[in-house]
Amino acid sequence: MLFQQLINGLTLGSTYALTAVGYSMVFGILGLVNFSHGSVYTVGAFLTLIFFTALKFNFFVSFLLSIILTGLLGILIDRISLYPLRKRNAPKVTSLISTIGVSIFLQNLIMITWGSETKKFPLVINRGSINLFGANISTLQIMIFSMCIVLMVSLNIMIQKTRVGKAMRATAQNSKAAMLMGININAIIMITFFMGSSLASVAGTMVGMYYQTIDPYIGYMAGLKAFAAAVLGGIGVLPGAIVGGLSIGVIEAIAAGYLNAGYRDAIAFAVLVLMLIVKPSGLLGKQASKKV
Amino acid sequence: MKRNKKTTLIIALVLVFIIGLVGCTSAPKQGKDEEIKIAVVGPMTGDSAQYGQSFKRATELMASKVNEAGGVNGSPIKLEIVDDKNDAKEATNVAQKLVSDEKIVGVIGHFSSTASLAAAPIYQRAQLVELSPTSSHPEFTKQGTYMFRNVNTQAIEGPILADFAVNDLKKKKIAVIYVNDDWGITAKDNFIEAAEELGATITAEEAFIGGQTRDFAPTITKIKGTNPDLIFLAAMYSETGMIAQQLEQLNYDVDLLGTSSLNNDQLIKLAGAAVDGLYLTNNYFPGNPDEKVQEFIEDYKEAYGVEPDQFAAVAYDSLGMMIEALKTSGPDRVKLRDSLVDIKDYNGVTGKTTFNENRDVMKDMIIMQIKEGKFTLYR
Repeated sequence: MLFQQLINGLTLGSTYALTAVGYSMVFGILGLVNFSHGSVYTVGAFLTLIFFTALKFNFFVSFLLSIILTGLLGILIDRISLYPLRKRNAPKVTSLISTIGVSIFLQNLIMITWGSETKKFPLVINRGSINLFGANISTLQIMIFSMCIVLMVSLNIMIQKTRVGKAMRATAQNSKAAMLMGININAIIMITFFMGSSLASVAGTMVGMYYQTIDPYIGYMAGLKAFAAAVLGGIGVLPGAIVGGLSIGVIEAIAAGYLNAGYRDAIAFAVLVLMLIVKPSGLLGKQASKKV
Repeated sequence: MKRNKKTTLIIALVLVFIIGLVGCTSAPKQGKDEEIKIAVVGPMTGDSAQYGQSFKRATELMASKVNEAGGVNGSPIKLEIVDDKNDAKEATNVAQKLVSDEKIVGVIGHFSSTASLAAAPIYQRAQLVELSPTSSHPEFTKQGTYMFRNVNTQAIEGPILADFAVNDLKKKKIAVIYVNDDWGITAKDNFIEAAEELGATITAEEAFIGGQTRDFAPTITKIKGTNPDLIFLAAMYSETGMIAQQLEQLNYDVDLLGTSSLNNDQLIKLAGAAVDGLYLTNNYFPGNPDEKVQEFIEDYKEAYGVEPDQFAAVAYDSLGMMIEALKTSGPDRVKLRDSLVDIKDYNGVTGKTTFNENRDVMKDMIIMQIKEGKFTLYR
């Protein structure tokens, strides 16, 4: 049973990790928590569903379209709600509140356009499963986990090895200095939002397939947990997002399995609080951050 | 000059305020042909909006039928549809607003026990009838003398379910998954108490948070370890669908039993084959050949293009009963309550209804089973 719970936790944690990256990247570059990220995740899941069921596209085409469109939505959010504030040198807290507004707007927009009831999400990937050490692992669980690992590793390589990645790291370190060195800061911010939002769309779609249902509220708790995961792992540090995400997922599954499912969220957040008391910068974080 | 302007403005504001107050207190008296206002409160937005929609559609259908037939003693019924977002705080705000509108003679609502309980003291103080079509928490009608319900309490439904599980299905080891709110906890407690009395053992009691928990894999894994013969679900249909699908994904085949709140076609649409075989109780069955029931279904389908669910059916009957009571009481809050208490064997689409001395209803329940994607009568 422990092994089965670990598998359950890792699957859930993978989706947290994918979402946490979005928080972490934006925090790294802009130094603010983008609270609209949870709603972006919901939009991603809905777009895949709409392209697939209403417009009858091939599933992978729908998925790809959703990834691209959700990425563009990320850019749009920055352009409309953050860029004007940045231009006027508004305090970080103002931008933070602005993202909360965007989040509520998006959630309500989804409800108005697609209704508030729970919708069926088709199971596209074959539902076979394998038995390993007495645990039942579905192909979908394996797929979610490996997808998460592949995406995170490639993202890390991109940031460490490519020119764009270098520019992103430079911007994160000191955006003014980076700008003076000829880096187009606004382009970097756009890329950051695009990538973070696309990954949220991947996570949303995966979760939709895993539970076979979606509703306009899926992003709320998932967003909070992913944010907690980003903080637990060390916000702004990419490998931290994956470590934090998987940890929160596993803690939740173990708490639900061995204590009571009613306390799972409480325990997950309690561990976060304890962890931050011991190491305020998070598991992989380097220094205490002064940003919002 | 500047100061003068300010004083004038203040005086003007004060005047407007006083006129406003006077306007509020001197509400026109209810004449013979004047409309009778009834409020229908439920979650019109938010994650339970589908239930509020059923309330709205069914009561509007009933009101338009009554109005076409000439209204109540000549006065047309006017519904005021109000949104409480299924939130206890919002419910009290809404209740406060409704009691201060003197034209409103009665309230149909709220949807969840949590919202109904929160609003009850306000209605009681203002002596305004709160007739909830769906709140089954035992404490609800004990809040005061103006609280009515048109649904069996879990104190009645729980033992029916337990009796069916233990004596008909012969299940002795039962696990329970319940939604962690007023309704879920009472449903679970009443079921467990009755089941244990009948000799069953409860292998696990697992909670989840309604509208938030979507991942049931850890819960299911834990329950699987306790090896029950049956899982009793004190849950709404959306979570029941998720639980059934995740059971299937984890390759765990076990019988499921749910409450009458699962009576919604959406459950089958959401979970498909995963809910095949699920047992549930009910007091409204669309397959009922009764003329009234079929007429209701037809009219509803014609008006809204969808089949009414049981929430629509109980809301329809609730308003029907209130209108029946209004015929003898006239548009008066206190008299309406007294005449509602006296209603005997109201013959609605959810069966014959009478209130007992606690203003609770007692209705017989049927057992249904989902078979090949359809709700079928089991017993």
